[in-house]
Amino acid sequence: MKQMLIITDGCSNVGMSPIVAAAHAKSEGITVNVVGVVDQGDLGEYGASEIHEIARAGGGLSRLVETKELAQTVQMMTRKTVVQTIQLAVQRELQAVLGNDSIEALPPEKRGEVVQVMDELTESSSLQVALLIDASASMKPKLASVEESIHDLMLSLQAREGKSEIAVFHFPGSKQEDCVLDLDWTTHLKGVHSIFPKLHMSGTTPTGPAMMKVIEYFVQHNDSKRRSEMEGMLGDDVV
Amino acid sequence: MLGEGANGKVYLVSKGWQSYALKMGVSSIDLQSEINALKALSGDDSSRGSYLMDVDDWITPQGKEVPFYTMRYVKGLNMANYIAQHGADWFPLLGLNLLRSLGELHRERWIFGDLKLENIIVGEYGEVDLIDFGGATPFGKGVKQFTEIYDRGYWNEGSRSADAAYDLFSFGVLCLQVFAPRKLAQLSKELLPQTRSAEQLIELAREIPQLAPYRKWLEQAFDGGFSHGKEAASAWRAITHQRKPTVKNTATPRWLKVMIAISIVSLCITASLYALDYTGLLR
Repeated sequence: MKQMLIITDGCSNVGMSPIVAAAHAKSEGITVNVVGVVDQGDLGEYGASEIHEIARAGGGLSRLVETKELAQTVQMMTRKTVVQTIQLAVQRELQAVLGNDSIEALPPEKRGEVVQVMDELTESSSLQVALLIDASASMKPKLASVEESIHDLMLSLQAREGKSEIAVFHFPGSKQEDCVLDLDWTTHLKGVHSIFPKLHMSGTTPTGPAMMKVIEYFVQHNDSKRRSEMEGMLGDDVV
Repeated sequence: MLGEGANGKVYLVSKGWQSYALKMGVSSIDLQSEINALKALSGDDSSRGSYLMDVDDWITPQGKEVPFYTMRYVKGLNMANYIAQHGADWFPLLGLNLLRSLGELHRERWIFGDLKLENIIVGEYGEVDLIDFGGATPFGKGVKQFTEIYDRGYWNEGSRSADAAYDLFSFGVLCLQVFAPRKLAQLSKELLPQTRSAEQLIELAREIPQLAPYRKWLEQAFDGGFSHGKEAASAWRAITHQRKPTVKNTATPRWLKVMIAISIVSLCITASLYALDYTGLLR
């Protein structure tokens, strides 16, 4: 399962629309969640609706929260999305087999079995979460809380049975880059003290282009993984 | 009424809360071949779920039998309107989603046949659905229902027998239709039947800035270079996820433009000096 989680406090203002980028993510099987941090209520109506739209296009959830609720929200959204993804997959299977997509349509005892399988999958499926952090100037005072919430997320992901990895990006980069990778795929944060070293805060918010970069990263990562698996298989055949 | 196809009329009907599209045919044979196509496409492992709901005949008060079937109703805009309303930013994604749908059909060894703007419905966030399966044809059979300007045969680029490349050619024309409908119409009007060729289409594609990243891809599609929708989709995807999303970054730097301008000017000066010198010598 693949997820992208965006933490931002404002509207995108450069490049391609983040809503289009979110739809791209969805078509690549990546669910997009968005958290809007609203401490001084500085997001505005437009920003709030953009956050909502990004999540809708990306098949995920959106929340507007205060900094102190960030850790709790990030952790909760990730978990909820896992459940939702499993539910959707199971519903699609039911639709294909029974021509009916609601679990309620099953007889009670069957329903129990299906739900059990769903719980199992929720716990054991492998999960990748890419966090995309808005590091524009106004986010500066909030970055400590963002970092804390990433540590907290890792903690609850480690408690899962299945393999869980996270990667962390921030945007914009210092030299006109749309986004920068801070932390490559990892299953633990041991020895990582500061995820964001010294950031050059900039005024622009290229949310859309940054999201496209993260999608690219997902795509390349998966393609190369598949390729190395294939090579492994071929190698075995030759030997 | 939702629309009128070549084989009949389509109405919006509802059962409880759910809406469906109902198509009434004129000839039961034509309609039945469409139904067969839909049946083949609503196979077990198709991600589209079941397309076809019900098939029956309706006997009019005059005693005439009218065949009809009901299918899933898809709400949305046609592709051209969608891009006009939401912006060309969406185009790469719509293209990819459409190619993936075609790839699914090709996997079942069917082609869509009558691919055109009017037969594509785009949902709220760029989800693409194909409608009107009147042109759907199994691999190797002749395509019966098509639209001239999208047709490979019309452009003298191959037969009308169904293969994946037929759909992909139509897809190429569709890209032109999205961004330059007038020029495309004019092109097909001006050219004589025997002079129509993919060359003209490729040339038109070159004039459209939004298609610039996909130029190579289009050339290949017009050339019959893709043998499967899936292959075409992954080539399209590779382009979409590699290029810079903003055109601004890739523009020529200003200093380079200045240098080019200077060199052109100096070239002109030298050339004219030479010319003067030459004519002077003649006299």
